[in-house]
Amino acid sequence: MPIPGVAMTRRRLLGLAAASAGAAFSGPVLTGCSKDSSSGGGSTSLTFMNQSRGQVKALEKLVETYQKQTGVKVVIDSPGPSNFPAKLQAKSQSGDMPDIYSTLTLSEMIPYYKAGWALNLEPQLTGAWKPNFSPTALKLTTVKDGTVDGLGAGIYSAHWEIQTSGLLINTKSFESAGVDPKAPPAATDAWIEQLKAISQKSGNGAFLMASSLSPQFLLTHASNWLTDQEINATLAGTASWKSDGWRKGLQLLAELTAAGVIVNKALPGGNGDNPTVEKFFFNVQDTATIFDGSVAIGVARATAPDFTEYTSQGLPKATNGTQKARVSGGVGKGACINPKGKNVDAALKFVQWLTEPEQAKVFVDMVGLIPANPQVKESDVPAQVAGFASLVDTLQIVPTPFGADARTALISGVQGLVLKEKNVDQVLEEMDTAQKRAK
Amino acid sequence: MTARSLEGVVLPRARATARRGSPLARRRALMAYVFLFPAVILLAVFTLVPFVQAIVLSFQDWDGVSAGTSYVGLANYKFVLHDTVFWSSMRNVLIFGAAGFLIGNALSLGMAMAVNRVHHGKAFFRTAFYLPGVFSVVVIGMMFSWLLAPNAGILNRMLGSVGLSGLQHNWLEDPATALPAVAAVFLWYHWGFGFILYLAGLQDMPVELYEAASLDGARGWATFRYVTWPELLPVTAIVSLLTLLGALQVFGTVQVLTNGGPADHTMVPTLRIYEEAFTNRRFGSAAAMSVIFGGALVLLAVLHLWFSRRKR
Repeated sequence: MPIPGVAMTRRRLLGLAAASAGAAFSGPVLTGCSKDSSSGGGSTSLTFMNQSRGQVKALEKLVETYQKQTGVKVVIDSPGPSNFPAKLQAKSQSGDMPDIYSTLTLSEMIPYYKAGWALNLEPQLTGAWKPNFSPTALKLTTVKDGTVDGLGAGIYSAHWEIQTSGLLINTKSFESAGVDPKAPPAATDAWIEQLKAISQKSGNGAFLMASSLSPQFLLTHASNWLTDQEINATLAGTASWKSDGWRKGLQLLAELTAAGVIVNKALPGGNGDNPTVEKFFFNVQDTATIFDGSVAIGVARATAPDFTEYTSQGLPKATNGTQKARVSGGVGKGACINPKGKNVDAALKFVQWLTEPEQAKVFVDMVGLIPANPQVKESDVPAQVAGFASLVDTLQIVPTPFGADARTALISGVQGLVLKEKNVDQVLEEMDTAQKRAK
Repeated sequence: MTARSLEGVVLPRARATARRGSPLARRRALMAYVFLFPAVILLAVFTLVPFVQAIVLSFQDWDGVSAGTSYVGLANYKFVLHDTVFWSSMRNVLIFGAAGFLIGNALSLGMAMAVNRVHHGKAFFRTAFYLPGVFSVVVIGMMFSWLLAPNAGILNRMLGSVGLSGLQHNWLEDPATALPAVAAVFLWYHWGFGFILYLAGLQDMPVELYEAASLDGARGWATFRYVTWPELLPVTAIVSLLTLLGALQVFGTVQVLTNGGPADHTMVPTLRIYEEAFTNRRFGSAAAMSVIFGGALVLLAVLHLWFSRRKR
């Protein structure tokens, strides 16, 4: 029944339809043309897109201090570690890149560097800013000419953290199994014996690692037989993954599987694999040892602040190694500056401020990281980080990043290895094939 | 051309609809096109253009960030043809499809028939059975992650507490149980949709047909075979098509529960495409996978509709 006074005439209907069409068109157009609200107002406002969940609180505290000191507002946008890569990629496509954004691994960042989304900081880093970075940190961030096709030499990110990888040990679990957590095993044989003892006590294994960390695990253990040059040659595709050094490196995982010490007899996989492993260690506390990066300490402080009964140490050296073992790691959290942003100078000043000793100390205190700034005293580093920090001098210097294809093949392969569906040679063969196919 | 009213009075259809080609019919058609115009534009912008772009991209090399792309001919398709993970994901998704199509449909139909027979509490069952489908896939994923977790998981704890610790299992990380477990979660999440449609179809069925069948001596199975099933065929066609396509396009459930693991045992094409694009940064080969997978889905949908029409 028509409502009196609002009868739908043809003209009215056509008008309504035209208005709908107009709204459909004008909506996106107007939205696209709208002025960025963050750039409005008189004061400078910067956006920092942060990947780390462990450093959010420290960053929020620091930007508050920075605003009080300079009047510059820095908005921290933390989409979370899993969503960060996709969100950053979407922003690069929409041309809406933040002023500052977290760096990921070099292989993940190369497209952004090539596309001109990161300011080359090398000219600044050779001046007054240089003392805020240890020589190792600078060496690890320097892209040399010819290392990456289509990318010029330079330093495209500034880091306030150095990252090493090794073992986190639940001291209570060790002690309850009669194993002294303060006495690191001499070599992998002794380590496996320790893990067997703890497994007997727990009834469900003693060691866990996220599949996504298998590249670091392999790089670290294979360094018992391979030099940095040999490792780099394989990553660059000029040497094979099927060499003896890699075989022996991966064999450790097969030995851990055979010893029955892997928790739940499987390695977690997928985007959330490392958070899952960290949850078992820090929150549920039912896993005695995990292989992780030093950044895990920050996660622990954010998600399980009351749990402190753990220590860190390096992966034990190989029983029959021919080289001095070196740890896989690199620079940890840091930032890139968007050179196409509206406030490049202000962004640079903020990142420079962020890497100064006072701010580095805040990161160390709140996050428990290994500082890239050499002016922070060793005694300031928390006890849990000490084991990871002691590995900084043994970091591998390998300029070529781990390729995505070999990495994907390894991540899938180690899961199959622990499930006893594949052997070491099959995994290495798949890595070799994947790397060649991608080339 | 006549239309029949409820009382059986025959009405000339010309009185109800304007004659084709008449000015009134032309004006009505024009008005319909005007109303459809915004939808067509939106369809073109958000469906057709991306679809064509995906096909073009499948012949290009792009890392997702660079401003430029280069044509690589059929290289992406060759790459996909040799991608064992993609083809094993196609095999896995067939299992999801079969589970959704056979078990999902059977469950939906069976429960709809059961609920249709009850006299009290029909609204309760309707709501309760449809409820899982209301939740976000992330909520469902997290819920079942906790339920099926190996150590602190509710299922394993329950098994342990009733003396069945021998049945405790690492449900989502054992290749033998990972795929069935994820498929079961998917079914639990989605079967309510089919159930509601089947129930609506059953409630719409004329009682006279059942009365006639009863007078002819038809019992349970015969009634279902010769009355219920033929009358439900249109509903079955659409429910089975939607559940089949939904199962083949499964993404969220797998991503949250296993992310394709362990060792790619639960990998599905949608997840593989996502991984290829956003993890490996090869949007060209991801687009080639999308074209192959999308083409297979279209083919399957066309075949299904053709088969359903033939059966009717």
